[in-house]
Parts: sequence; C-alpha cells; structure tokens
Amino acid sequence: MTTQLPSPYAPAPPAPTPPSATPVAATGPVDEPPVVIGDDTTGRSRAASRWRRMRWPLTVLAAVALFVLFLAVVRTPTSAEPNAPDNPEPDGAMAVAEVLKDQGVRITHVTSVADAVAAAGPDSTLLVTPNPSFFADDQVSALNRTGADLVVLNPDYSMVAGVSRDKLDITYGERPDPVEPQCDDPAAQAAGAVTLAPGLYDASAAGDNVRPVLCWPDGAGAFAYARLDFPDRSVTVVSDPAVLRNGTVLDEGNSALALWMLGQNEDLVWLVPDPMDITTGSDEPTPAERGQVNAVMPPGSAPVALVALLAAVLLALWRVRRMGPLVVEDLPVLVRSAEATRGRARLYRAARARGHAAAGLRAASADRIASRLGLARSSDANTVVDAVVAATNRPSQQVADLLYGPPPADDAALAELVRRLDTLESEVHRP
Amino acid sequence: MVVTWRAAALMGLGVVPVLLLPANGTVLVWATFVVLVCVADVVLAASPRRVAVQRRVPASVRLRSEATSELVVRNASGRRLRAVVRDAWGPSAGAGPGRGRSDRVRPASGGPGRHHVDLPDGEAARLPTVLVPTRRGDRAAGGVTVRSLGPLGLAGRQVTLPVPGRLRVLPEFASRKHLPSRLARLREMDGRAAVQIRGEGTEFDSLREYVVGDDVRSIDWRATARRREVVVRTWRPERDRRVLIVLDTGRTAAARVGAADSTGAPRLDASIEAALLLSALAGHAGDRVELVAFDRTVRARVAGAAGPRLMPALAESLATVDPVLLETDWPGVVAQVRTRMTQRALVVLLTTLDPAAVENGLLPVVDQLARDHTVVVASVADEEVAALRAGRETVADVYDAAAAARGDLERTAVTTMLRRYGADVVEALPDDLAPRLADEYLALKAAGRL
Repeated sequence: MTTQLPSPYAPAPPAPTPPSATPVAATGPVDEPPVVIGDDTTGRSRAASRWRRMRWPLTVLAAVALFVLFLAVVRTPTSAEPNAPDNPEPDGAMAVAEVLKDQGVRITHVTSVADAVAAAGPDSTLLVTPNPSFFADDQVSALNRTGADLVVLNPDYSMVAGVSRDKLDITYGERPDPVEPQCDDPAAQAAGAVTLAPGLYDASAAGDNVRPVLCWPDGAGAFAYARLDFPDRSVTVVSDPAVLRNGTVLDEGNSALALWMLGQNEDLVWLVPDPMDITTGSDEPTPAERGQVNAVMPPGSAPVALVALLAAVLLALWRVRRMGPLVVEDLPVLVRSAEATRGRARLYRAARARGHAAAGLRAASADRIASRLGLARSSDANTVVDAVVAATNRPSQQVADLLYGPPPADDAALAELVRRLDTLESEVHRP
Repeated sequence: MVVTWRAAALMGLGVVPVLLLPANGTVLVWATFVVLVCVADVVLAASPRRVAVQRRVPASVRLRSEATSELVVRNASGRRLRAVVRDAWGPSAGAGPGRGRSDRVRPASGGPGRHHVDLPDGEAARLPTVLVPTRRGDRAAGGVTVRSLGPLGLAGRQVTLPVPGRLRVLPEFASRKHLPSRLARLREMDGRAAVQIRGEGTEFDSLREYVVGDDVRSIDWRATARRREVVVRTWRPERDRRVLIVLDTGRTAAARVGAADSTGAPRLDASIEAALLLSALAGHAGDRVELVAFDRTVRARVAGAAGPRLMPALAESLATVDPVLLETDWPGVVAQVRTRMTQRALVVLLTTLDPAAVENGLLPVVDQLARDHTVVVASVADEEVAALRAGRETVADVYDAAAAARGDLERTAVTTMLRRYGADVVEALPDDLAPRLADEYLALKAAGRL
C-alpha cells in the first residue's frame, strides 16, 4: 500500500479509476452561467434616477444660496478691524463715520499708505488710526507730503516726530479723571472735560514760528491733545484712540472732539493701516509694493499656471473615478480567545491581587509536580511536600513555604516566587 | 464618463501655445479644444452597455487553493471595444491580477482582476482571474465593470454590469496529512485481529482452523464438534458502528485562537478540521458517520452519506457554517442526539472547555448523554494562552501567567467533572486537535468501546 495523500474529499475508491474521472479541488461549472448585456437602464432612466438622487441636495444647496444672497443684499458690509469706519463693534468707529456721512463728509476708507496718498489732497483731512506695527520713515514723510490736514491717533515715537516736525514727543501718563482742556483750541473748548489718556509733551524750542497747542494736561506735563497749525495745513495728534471708538465716543466730550477734528473738510481719508503694508505712494511703485505676484514673474506665467491648474483638475478627475463600486463582504468577529485571560491578568494587577496570582501559580506548579511524581490529584499538601523533599533533597520547610507559604508582599516578591517555583519544578524528576 | 491621464497630458501640452501667445484667452481656447476632443472620444467609444459578459466560476474550491474566475466578454457594440474590464471579488476571495495574455487581452494595473481588452466588433475574449480564497464560506462576486475608452484613449464611458457569480470555499482539510498514518494503524488493528488477540474487537468475523498460539478461549466448541477439527472464532473490530459528531457553533466557537502575532483563526475552523479527519478515518473503518452543527438550532447536518460520498457531503455542508454569537443550547443538543441515535454510538462534542460556559451548559446534560453513548468532548486550546503561561519577563507577564494558570486549574476541574460523568476529554492546540481526536477514536475502537 502506498502512503500518498488521499484526495481531500474523495477517499480513494476501491477500484482504480481513470485520472480524469473526478475533478476534486475545483469542480467545473454545473450550469451554463447567464450572459449579461447592459444593466437594464436607458439614458432616460439614468437621468431620472440621477435627478431623484440629486434633487434634495440640490434643493438644500439652492436654499442656502438664496439665503446668502438675501443676506448680502439686506445687510451692509461690516468689518471687525479696530478703528475702521465700517466696524460696529465697541472697538470700531462706525458711529462717528455715520454721523460724519450724514453731515456731508465724504469718507474714503483706505488700508495702505499708497492709497491714502492717492486719495488725500490739500482740501481734505487724513485720519491715521493707530498702527499695529511701525510706519517706515519714508511712509511717514509720504503722509506728510499730501498737503491734507492730518489727524493722528495714538502715534509712536517716529510717527509723532515725523508729523510734528520734532515739535512733539511722547511720554506716558495715567488716564485721569475728567479734566477741563485748559487751552484755547476751539475743538477742545467745544469738547470740554474728557477722560483721555495723556501721552504728549511739547518738544518745540521757544523761538519756533509754529508751536503746538496742548490741551488736557495731567499735571505732570503730559497732554492728551496737541494741535499744530503749519502754514499749509494743520496736524492734530490725540494720544488716545478712545475718542473715536464706538464704545467710548459718547463719553463726555469725545464725540464733539471727534467731529470737530474730522469734520474740518468735506473729504475725509480714513487710513486703517495694514501691518503688512510697506507702500509709500511714490510715483514709481515697485511691483512688490503693488502686491501683484505676476509682476515679479516672467510674462505669461499666469496663463501657464492656469493651464497647470486645469491639467491638475483633469488628473484629479482621472484618479478619483473608481473602477466600479467596492465589493462588500461580511467579516467575522475578531475576538481573541486569550482576551479573557489577559483581562483577568489586568484585573489581578489593577487590584494588586498578588495573593490570588501567587495561589494560582503555586497550585499550577503543585499540580504539575504532583502529576510528575505520580501523586493523585487529590493528594494533600503534606504528601506533596514530602514527595518533593524526597525528590529534590531540599529542606522540607523551604518546599512548604514555596508551595504553600504566605502570599508575596509586593510585585518583586511575586516575580521572585515564580522564579523559585520554576527552579523547583525543574529539579523534580520522575522518581 | 471617465477621463484618463492622457486627457490631463493633453491639457498640459497647452503650455506650448500659451507660451507662444501668453494670454488667458489662449487658455480658454485650449481648454475648450481639450473638452471637445474628450467629448468626441466619449461619443466614439463603444457602448459598455452593449458588451455581453458571462462569468464562469467553479462551483467550489478548497480554502487556499487556486480557482479561476473567467469572464467571457463579447463585443456586440458595433464598434471596436478598447476597454479595461474589472472582475470584482471581495477581499477574502483573494483575487490576483488578470492573467490572460494575448494580442487581445493583457493584464491591467491598478488592482486585482483587471484586464485590458481590445476587441473588434463581434469578437469575444476570455479574461481569467486567479482566486486564492482566504476564508471559508460562500464568496459572492461583485459586478463586472467595463470602462470603454474612445479611439484616442482620452476619455470614455464606464458601467458596472450585475453579472452573478459565487464561489463556495470548502474547508481546507489540512489535517488530511495525518490520515495515512491513522489508516495504517487501523489496518494494523485489523491484522492483529486476524492473529486473534482478544479484545481487539468484539464482532464475530468468521471461523477458521486452530493454529498454535491462538487463544484457547476463542475455540468454538460447537463448530469443533461438527467439524472434527478444532475451530476458532475470529474477531475483528466492530464495523457499522455509529459516530455522531456534534459541532458547537455557539459564541465560544467564534473566538480566535492562534499565536499572539497572528490574527488567528476561529475555533470553529480547528473543530471542522478535526471533524473532517475523524469522519474520513471512521468512514474508512466502516463506521457510519453523521454530523450536526448546532448552536440553538441546526446549522448543518450530514446523515446517510457513506463511502466516497461522505467527504464531499461534509465539505459542502461545513463550508457555509459560521459561528453564531449565541449561547449554545445544550439540552437541545441532547435532544438532537436522542432523535438521531437510537442505539449506542460514539458522540463527539467539538466545543470549548470554557469553565463558565461548560458549568452552565454542558455539565448538567453530559451524564444524560454518557448514559446511552460513548461521549468524547474535544476542545481547541489556545496557543496564545500557552505562551502567556510561560511568560516571566516583566511583572505584567507574571500576572498573565498567573491568570493563565488559574484558567488551567479551572479547566482541569471541569475536565475532571466531565470525566467523572463518563465523558472522555481531548484538549489540544488547533493543529494537534485533529490527530489527537483521531488517536482517541482509534483507542476507543481498539478497546472495543464503540
């Protein structure tokens, strides 16, 4: 008889059969499978099902678009930029801007020095709100050259020096209780007592032909307001932007002061500087100043980039289309049988159940040793200890301690116990 | 509608005219040109809905052996068909890349079962895909996706056709490698019976003349008186005994066993291997084998199949048996055994020696079974637990070992209880269970306990 493997599911028949008689591993198709042509759809039915599938998402999309359009028409655009004339928040300045507009002042809201220089002229007012960063020197001089009356809020050192031609300087003062202006500037007189943080002092020399008018002192030589009347224009500096802000404009004389300062001329250029702005408004702006990427790129790069973008879109369309749907398959549960044992071990460990753990290990060891020594499973402790002592020549007390001793005190003792049990077990041989 | 990388490349070629005439208008003109060419390509492509597709799949295949799913694609579109065809199968079907290679067909990249096809009108091609299934059961095929491209290969149309296909994956029966040695032992038992060692069998075989060395207790005095020479009875191992294999498909059969670094296989798979080896052996020994897969109801049943029909019937019915996440109804098992087996039989329960489950389920009923039948409880042990038992490196390992040792003790207690009720217990690692169960069967047969 040969010992070759029998066919898996067809035990070797008693009589030899021709080898082609029984295909075993893979039996051939029983019936001729069906031939499929098309998926029983027409262009019309596909369009209809597509419409059925898409109509609710499309409806929702259309509703959202309509709502957005409605909001865009109904609501005036606002911003969150501090001190901006279209910001209705407490740190904006929309209130003053709206009042000025009602009084016939034309407000031009700009965010770059170049735009401000372009918009401002001799018969206009140029308001410079506090700058988040610093103006460069050439920017300050560009603002000086416009010929417009300048109103500067809370400037920094170089700014105040530039616009006042070194006749003012900056200091720090505590925000005081309301004080009277204590000067004869008409705007200050109209405003009366205000609470503005002082921060300016007179830096002009006694012989200068133009000297600043300073109002609202704090008693330590700092003032909140300064006005310089140059021959061609006036420069007003206020050290606290609270005079303009929606949240504080109604306090005391703030509104009167703001309207006086900004309503001098029919045109008001409102510069809310952009920290990234480096423009100066000179005649030949560099391409980088104009903020145009294609100006520093070789000519024709924009269309080439567009072509590359379209090609990338086509590539994405190529990759995104799946070759038919995924085939679903019910997968079996994946629970390991050892999880119960591991869980129990974690419970032992979390509860510091060293006694339980040690008892289990000792009992298993004793069980194995007993079966190796040919003892009955029901043998009592003394019998097992005696048999082990006889097999290993160890002291009886030591063996009894190992197999039936007290529970270990800590994890190290448990590990040591296991090690010694293993050693003991390796010493026990069949008698 | 699909586009290919060629359409993107054509769009990219637009860089040349744009560099010659750098304006956005040039881009618009080129994009329009590309779109028009793609639309023309789609219009000129053969309709994938007018391609006749047939899928030929073998009815069944053994786990981890090769089967070929073959698509027969006939172009009835009236145009030349340039297409990529995907024969979609689930992940467990183990589909490989397309295999056909001729002037009409070649494998396509991008995933399993994909073929490039270039067919003139009216012609057909076969697209073979090799499947090596990795999971038992019925593997259903997905659709057949035909992506028909236009003559320029820029764009095309795609449709997924609902072509039916199903491959039944039979159990692997890897334990059949143990069958020859067990069959040899079986024959040995037959042979020893011929030289008359009493106890090897209890079934009367024939009468023959006494030779020196025969057991005098087997002399048939009545026949001797008739024949005028000493005649002995010969015995052989019992034949036509009944073996009932009960496969527990309850929740404990779903747990995975195997080494810690593998995903393992459900306990049920090892049980099936053992059931198949035992059936093959018992079938050869001339016993009548029946099988029931049961949890709360009968999931599979094989009865009345014998000889060469036994193993295919077993494989076919066990192929689709999956564990159910339910507690096994052991009184129901007893009722099943009672209705199937009216006379004494060997009842093999392929289940799990999970102490809690056994105490609540099997223990209360096993004595009812053991009273009438020879009962063997066979259980699959877990390699990972065995590894945990030996862990000593860290404190966490020691706790693991303690938990494993505690589990062993409880299992030993349950085993003892089962033995006390009269059942034999075989517990072994998945790969060893089948041979161990076969050995147990041979031992029972040798002892005449069937």
